[in-house]
Amino acid sequence: MNRLILISLLAIFPLSLYAQLERKLENENQAVELVFHSPRHINLLTVEPLSKKTLHFAIMHTFGTLDGGIQNLFGLDNGANIQFSFEFALSDKFSLAASRSSQDKVYSVFGRYHIFQQTQNGDKPFSLSLAGGGGVNTSKYNFLPEGAPNFSERMSYFGQVMLARKFTPKFSFQLTPMLAYFTDPREIYQIEGTENLYLSLGFSGKLKITDRSSLALQFIPNLNTDLRSNFGIGWDVEAGGHVFQMYFVTSQALNEQYLLAGGNGTIGDEFRLGFNVNRIFSTGKKKNK
Amino acid sequence: MKWLILFFVFFTRVGAAQTFQTESGNVNFLSKAPLSEFNGVSNKLHGLIDLSQNVLDFYIDLNTLETGIGLRDKHMRDNYLETKKYPFAELTGKMTSIPSLTTGSKSIVVAVGKFKMHGVDKEIEVRGTLSKISSGELELVADFEILLSDYDIPVPKLVFYELAEKQVISIKAILKPK
Repeated sequence: MNRLILISLLAIFPLSLYAQLERKLENENQAVELVFHSPRHINLLTVEPLSKKTLHFAIMHTFGTLDGGIQNLFGLDNGANIQFSFEFALSDKFSLAASRSSQDKVYSVFGRYHIFQQTQNGDKPFSLSLAGGGGVNTSKYNFLPEGAPNFSERMSYFGQVMLARKFTPKFSFQLTPMLAYFTDPREIYQIEGTENLYLSLGFSGKLKITDRSSLALQFIPNLNTDLRSNFGIGWDVEAGGHVFQMYFVTSQALNEQYLLAGGNGTIGDEFRLGFNVNRIFSTGKKKNK
Repeated sequence: MKWLILFFVFFTRVGAAQTFQTESGNVNFLSKAPLSEFNGVSNKLHGLIDLSQNVLDFYIDLNTLETGIGLRDKHMRDNYLETKKYPFAELTGKMTSIPSLTTGSKSIVVAVGKFKMHGVDKEIEVRGTLSKISSGELELVADFEILLSDYDIPVPKLVFYELAEKQVISIKAILKPK
């Protein structure tokens, strides 16, 4: 009989267990977000994905070297290399982009693909993305005695792997093995390199200083040429849908190919002021209730 | 003794019919700032209403809130709600009086309890309506307001015209008998 009472008691016991629901995450593999503020970090592309159907528009500028002093308003008089870049996300993983930089009037197209993202539960300890594309130099070279280069001689390509981790909420780091290839690196092009192939390894760091701004660092040593290494230091500010990036960098190049082949000034005197404005537009349907 | 067992079984049944649960309630928040008005939605409100023991327990995984703009969602999760550290918003409490519910009738209920978000607990009072719909399910509709500063979520000056300090939360859920 005691057993029966026990069974009966067990039957009502679950009632009192329902006093509070068990808290469960909807998605155990929630991705770590905002590893970087935007798809660009100074010059380099990042693992930061765009949500499906959003457009990332970036206007990037780099000015002349600082060593002209106040006479040249620290390089601002020397004119800027300006790049307009549009990147559209076809899915949460894949985006296509087109850009144009004024240096050698290069039009580029590239794609960015996110293989996986770092997760909050540590299942994926880092994010891994790929990017690659090519560009064509559209400057007029009719004045050259040997004649203007043809279309394929004007081409340059790049490819890179991006591997990043948000170590703490404040500190993120990205490693970017990258290569660039010029089919015909002529002396008239605004690059210092004379090789076809350029290999390098990019290091990008972000250190959050306030809730919405960060210190940005970039170091890109060349691995197979004796060109100087690229160094950049900047300040990123997030303001709603905008990310402003102000920085000093040793190269005037803004696209990947020229960044690797273009050569660099010395740190300090030959720093150039740079300024990026990133804006994300959402083109998908807004959800209402 | 048989009677006693029967009594227990009966009691259990009655108890069970007094407990209602959902995992797909609707939560909506509205931010009305001078320059920008937007809302966020989730359909992942988990809730429990136990009429016999007078227990209310609701929670939502804040990661599931969507405002329609991906970047804004990321900023909301990372900079404001800090969902990695504080993934849930929770309300646990009881009703000031248990309404006697008959099918098709609506009763105004007042819930008092602890609302927890962003690591901060606060006693709040929420007014809503509770009705028993024909299928034996309970429908709950409620709204309340919260101030972000009460939950240690600062609104920076740079975005104060885009993000309201006062957020209007609306809940709508159909709870099934357990």
